[in-house]
Amino acid sequence: MPPAAPSEAPRVLPRRAPVRAAVHPAAWWGWALLLATAAGRTANPWLLLLVAAVAGLVVTWCRGDEPWSGAYRVFLFIGLSAVAVRMAFYVVFGGSDGPTVLFTLPSVTLPDWAAGFRLGGAVTAEGALAAAYDGLRLATLLVCVGAANALASPRRLLRSVPAALYEVSVAVVVALSVAPQLVESVGRVRRARALRGNTGRSPANLMRTVVAPVLHDALDRSLALAAAMASRGYGRAAGVPAPARRATGASLLIGLLGLCAGAYALLGTATPAPLAWSLLAVGAAAAVFGIAFASKRVPHTRYRPDRFRALDWAVLASGAAATAGTVLSGVLEPAALWPATNPLGVPELPLWAAAGIVLAAAPALLAPSGPSPTPLPPKGTP
Amino acid sequence: MPREVEAVRPRPPVRWRAALALALAAGFGLVAMAWPLLAAPGGALTETTSGPWLFALLLPLVTASVLVQLADGGLDARAVAMLGVMSAVVAAVRPFGAGAAGVETVFFLIVLAGRVFGAGFGFLLGCTGLFASALLTGGVGPWMPYQMFAAAFVGLGAGLLPRTGGSRAGRAAELALLAAYGAVSSLAYGLLLNLSFWPFAITQGNLSYVPGGGVEENLSRLLAYTLATSLGWDVGRAATTVALVLLTGPLLLRVLRRAARRANWA
Repeated sequence: MPPAAPSEAPRVLPRRAPVRAAVHPAAWWGWALLLATAAGRTANPWLLLLVAAVAGLVVTWCRGDEPWSGAYRVFLFIGLSAVAVRMAFYVVFGGSDGPTVLFTLPSVTLPDWAAGFRLGGAVTAEGALAAAYDGLRLATLLVCVGAANALASPRRLLRSVPAALYEVSVAVVVALSVAPQLVESVGRVRRARALRGNTGRSPANLMRTVVAPVLHDALDRSLALAAAMASRGYGRAAGVPAPARRATGASLLIGLLGLCAGAYALLGTATPAPLAWSLLAVGAAAAVFGIAFASKRVPHTRYRPDRFRALDWAVLASGAAATAGTVLSGVLEPAALWPATNPLGVPELPLWAAAGIVLAAAPALLAPSGPSPTPLPPKGTP
Repeated sequence: MPREVEAVRPRPPVRWRAALALALAAGFGLVAMAWPLLAAPGGALTETTSGPWLFALLLPLVTASVLVQLADGGLDARAVAMLGVMSAVVAAVRPFGAGAAGVETVFFLIVLAGRVFGAGFGFLLGCTGLFASALLTGGVGPWMPYQMFAAAFVGLGAGLLPRTGGSRAGRAAELALLAAYGAVSSLAYGLLLNLSFWPFAITQGNLSYVPGGGVEENLSRLLAYTLATSLGWDVGRAATTVALVLLTGPLLLRVLRRAARRANWA
């Protein structure tokens, strides 16, 4: 994010010390998504618990002291509730069956017009185990996403948005800095209202005397902000020649067209699958090219560009090790990756996958958060 | 008021390329969300398990393409600032709905702003508003692209609703129109998000998605799944949206139109 929204940027983008900068947020997201891919390729409970443990370890060692650093715990609870919901669904709506009946619920068969499902009935250990593995897989995916949320600074990530999305990302930066001001504005308006002797609590009164002034205030402030931005040269028609603009537009539209055509071709049987996939790939490539081309043409400079360094690549590579290990296990020992629940048995631990996932814990050693991760105090803020 | 509004163009303009990109993105989004219903038995998508992941990765790309196309020459400083402030309002009121089941406090704002500022602005606001609130609350997840995309189309649709007169009856008709649209779009939003998450959430049993099962089989399963899990939420969302549009609509429309007149988009 170039700091070109002059009046707002310094407040919302705390400048970091360039020496001991933390891992790039995109690297964290890549690491977490690779770990999630590894988890998505298996239903082995040992591996899934290992992935969750690795994510937890890295979060505890590497997270900073930021408002979003608690996200891991929230996602852990969401994951646990996903397991619970999955089990409840199995008990009520049924699933895979087996010979070991744990208990039997009274069963109801819905009439045909209500889809003819059977509710309740026998609950078997095999089915419950399969449901638990399945829920655990979803929970592990969510935990990986939670780790990324806790580790990656969204504000720094916003600086890495492609330059073509400059206007939209400025709008998001404005939103992130205005939201706290709204809360303050509500407090101010309510104080003024109380001083005038109005303490009524009826909704109509609150609408007229609190909501309306706060909104007027916010919108007027947006116009003042726009004037400030325009007076500093923001929003003048950037010197993009018309042919370049047309080329960008054409490439983006071709990309979208290819993606649409590919997606529809994938749905039906009329188009052979290789053709459909290649249509989709061509569309995606054209769209990426369009965005990259548009970003090159935007004549904005960046203050302190946020580059990918060796440490970031190392974090990404450790995540890739987890995925590679699972893929290798999928080739060499596929049965251990998808353990059978019927007959019941203790699943084995696939070695290659486990080794890869343990490697993914490397960021805990590579990039631990120091005792005092002191970012430089934001310049220019009072 | 309407003549005045007419004279000063209260909406940021949308170019034809952006309109075409929006139409294509809507088509892609429909497939990306509704593929469990649309995939024909024997089609390429039913043979693999990677379909949902693929769409979850491609949806942000499509959204970014549309945003680039919409922003190209169509967003000046006033539109960006207005978008930022409205996104902040969306992000600020969103947590109010998180506590209670089915209370949705975002949609009425997107609907009203889309109505006043136009389809393109509504689309952008749906995207940036949900994105900003996800960033503020640390709620970035695999569901976010779908939420952004669906909310963007709620805003887009609100901008495309037919005009009503400026008389007293016209204003009442506008409010009724927006409330009805709010109800329909809330229900559709719930169904589409269910659809996007359904093949992940449950993989076996009576309610799960059957690859290659065809429309009738999967539609009845989807409806049963919706009934069992989220219908209460969806109806609650529709009811709160209608109530909030009716209660705050007259005031908010006036406030937003005043801001639009002052911004005076050329």
